Amino acid sequence: MATKYTITGPAYIKLFFHLAKHPHQRVNGVLIGKELSEGVVEATDAIPLLHHWTSLSPMMEIGLDLAGQYAESAGLKVVGYYQACERPEDTTLFPVGEKIASRIKQGFNHAIAFVLDASQIDGTSAALVPYVPAAPNPNWKPASSSPQPFTVDSPYQLSPPNLASRALALVRDEKLHLKFGDFDDHLEDVAIDWLRNKACVPKDL
Amino acid sequence: MSPSIEDLASFRTKNFRASQEFIDKASPILKDVKKAKSNDDGTHFVVNPATVALTRKQCALDVGRLDIAKTAWKALSERIGHDSPRVILLQGLIMEATESLDTVLRFYESEASKNQHNPSFWKRQISVLRQMGRIEEAINELRLFLDTFYNDLEGWLELADIYSSCCQYTSALQALSHALLLAPQNPFTFLQFAETAFSAGDIQLALRNFLIVIDMSDQTPVGFSVRAWWGVKLCARRLIHPPAGTSNESPSKTPVPKNIKLIDQLATERVLTAYSGERGIHNRDVVSRWMTSN
Repeated sequence: MATKYTITGPAYIKLFFHLAKHPHQRVNGVLIGKELSEGVVEATDAIPLLHHWTSLSPMMEIGLDLAGQYAESAGLKVVGYYQACERPEDTTLFPVGEKIASRIKQGFNHAIAFVLDASQIDGTSAALVPYVPAAPNPNWKPASSSPQPFTVDSPYQLSPPNLASRALALVRDEKLHLKFGDFDDHLEDVAIDWLRNKACVPKDL
Repeated sequence: MSPSIEDLASFRTKNFRASQEFIDKASPILKDVKKAKSNDDGTHFVVNPATVALTRKQCALDVGRLDIAKTAWKALSERIGHDSPRVILLQGLIMEATESLDTVLRFYESEASKNQHNPSFWKRQISVLRQMGRIEEAINELRLFLDTFYNDLEGWLELADIYSSCCQYTSALQALSHALLLAPQNPFTFLQFAETAFSAGDIQLALRNFLIVIDMSDQTPVGFSVRAWWGVKLCARRLIHPPAGTSNESPSKTPVPKNIKLIDQLATERVLTAYSGERGIHNRDVVSRWMTSN
């Protein structure tokens, strides 16, 4: 049976903010969460890594290590990877993304990767393309589109279901994404709390 | 120039990419652009970057104000003429946001052949090839371009970025070597070189270049020097405790410093110093734990 994945409020909002803050650049980060029961994974938060030199590895390695330690301290695990491309219509998982997703899979067997499809952002669609492991390792492939991810019977869900419209409104109306910072931002100013980003997530989420 | 125009002019001279902030500041000025007298308050210096900031097609959620872009383009073309290469280039940028990339590519190819001494159209042509995913063609065109315009620093950095995106790190290092010749005073290029060397598996070369960045910075670890000290720490740890199954041999034959353990200790101290004050309070614990783990 296919593993079920649920992405909750803070995870989706932060992932969306990462794209919104750097629409002209590639961005990537990780999802943290836990396996609720066999084959049921909940991603409860997102930790943004880079928007600069995203194909280079040293800061990625450090960021991944720190994110993993933070997740562990919160009783969670790194469960997935996300990225977005500077070209809205490009939903390929980059070679670097495959490597990172494979590394995450070493620590969490049900690891998942998501690519943001900016061309689908309209407030109704999750605009996420899931990628799952494909043999031979370390390749990844888009998940089955039957049923379409993030629709009613799909193993991929947002919780609550209106997160897409909420995220878009938070960017357009409140510009909360401007308070968001990733590891690249943190390296320029260590006061930026890239692991938590509390200031940009509404209290009700 | 008025203070607000001075502010906006600084975006151009300092090469800031802060599109939304620029638009928020520029919009009131652009509303009055038609009333401005010619050659008076530098308004035309504002209009140019406003259009550039607005019309990058890659930005799905960028400011997206094509209305402002077109107003700015019209004002600029009335001021300096429709035939100005700058105006034509800005027209191309607007087309990148509104037309198919095939159409835009043909436009730039035509303008590049008419303006062979002006590299801008060729560069946009290469950028469009990259946007279309025609990476091999983009690389070939960029290499031809750099054969002709060797001094174009941006071109070498773009070539390095394209190679890195394909995980061709050795080729990226070669491109960055040319960038370093052109801009030996720029610590960011050394930083990019260091991170690319690390990605290519040449830890010793990466360490050397992270240390060059530190040499170019102030004593107090802040800003880009924090990133460099993190890089030094990562490299030193890797050289002292190589992961199982890996080799520490440097492809560039760069030697391991004899005092590598002292470098490691210094990097630890410098990074922890960066997090020691009030500003580092949020992440101090997780950083300290990382420093003491292997």
